[in-house]
Amino acid sequence: MALSLMEEDIERLGRTMRNLLERSEADGCLLCDGGGYVLSQEGLEQVDPLLLSALGAGVFAASRELARVLGEDEFSAVFHQGEVRSIFIRAVTADVLLVIIFSRGAHAGLVKHYAAPAVAELKTAFEQVAAREHRVPHRERSFVLTQNGPLFERE
Amino acid sequence: MSFVNFAKREVQLKIVYYGPGLCGKTTNLQFVHARLGAQSRGNLTSLATSQERTLFFDFMPLVAKAIENFTTRFQLYTVPGQVMYNRTRQLVLRGVDGVVFVADSQWNLMAENVESFKNLEENLRLQGDDLEKIPYVLQYNKRDLPEVAPTHYLDFVLNNRGVRRPRFNAVATEGNGVFETLNMIARLVLHRFVQAHSRQAGAEEELVLV
Ligand SMILES: Nc1nc2c(ncn2[C@@H]2O[C@H](COP(=O)(O)OP(=O)(O)OP(=O)(O)O)[C@@H](O)[C@H]2O)c(=O)[nH]1
Ligand SMILES: [Mg+2]
Repeated sequence: MALSLMEEDIERLGRTMRNLLERSEADGCLLCDGGGYVLSQEGLEQVDPLLLSALGAGVFAASRELARVLGEDEFSAVFHQGEVRSIFIRAVTADVLLVIIFSRGAHAGLVKHYAAPAVAELKTAFEQVAAREHRVPHRERSFVLTQNGPLFERE
Repeated sequence: MSFVNFAKREVQLKIVYYGPGLCGKTTNLQFVHARLGAQSRGNLTSLATSQERTLFFDFMPLVAKAIENFTTRFQLYTVPGQVMYNRTRQLVLRGVDGVVFVADSQWNLMAENVESFKNLEENLRLQGDDLEKIPYVLQYNKRDLPEVAPTHYLDFVLNNRGVRRPRFNAVATEGNGVFETLNMIARLVLHRFVQAHSRQAGAEEELVLV
């Protein structure tokens, strides 16, 4: 079944994410699910969020597999350090990831430090979303198809 | 599992191209990328070996106007077909909303087709899904080659469960059948999405009446 986020959810997630960016001086961050969907994003100007989320989910899943091979069962973060920009990925829930992009100016330690409380807040938010999932108002649940012909035309 | 963002009024749906190694999954996406207007598609990203075999996945986002007042985004993925990459296929299948099973029509690859189809069923089962309950279509690819099995034989082998699924003959390298396949799976996934949601809404109304 579909995961749905309402305006107030997005606003709440956004607040936590903006707060994280401000405190950690990271450039941008994104929430995605294990399947690679973009759930929410803040401050990502130079990176394509769709691709970041597809690859982020892939990298995280692959790293989790590697960890399993090594006999690690508690595995919650991935860190890639680049010359100019780096990326830090943390599990929020079993199925949601927080991806943070930051540049040389920001300290990795600081990013990791502030990510922890942000992840805790986001986790609570997603737990509440999951709990109320079946009580979403009726009017928000109706979707109407507008197209019955082919959606994609070959040029 | 689809995703709805009510703040951005956006629906995201995931379609996975599945099938044995070298059957033409990546070629399908390449053709769509080459022939779909740039306003409807994002970049095609391929995580591949130096021999152009898919190692992790190919990924391409598409955007369409299909649901009233919402933007619909389809995320297209291919899995690596090579048998040894099964864990990777399982990862790519997570949260899938619809599947295109690409078969290689050549006689001598029938066993690989069947094995890959079983592997799809098994991997879906492992993540709690059931192929019978998921929209999927079949594509019988490489119809241009000399030693291909007839369509009814491929149906007999791969499309033999009660209700027959839509299937298309294709020559992915030339694009024959590629858009037909894509449009069909997109439509099935959309219908399933809308249906699932109206059922939920209906159930809720009944609750209110009680
Ligand atoms: N003759 C012919 N060749 C095709 C056709 N479709 C794909 N091919 C060729 O088959 C080869 C493999 O195609 P890919 O699209 O890379 O196959 P794949 O399914 O992605 O393979 P993996 O990534 O290993 O799973 C390429 O050389 C393609 O050009 C077709 O319809 N006819
Ligand atoms: Mg491939």
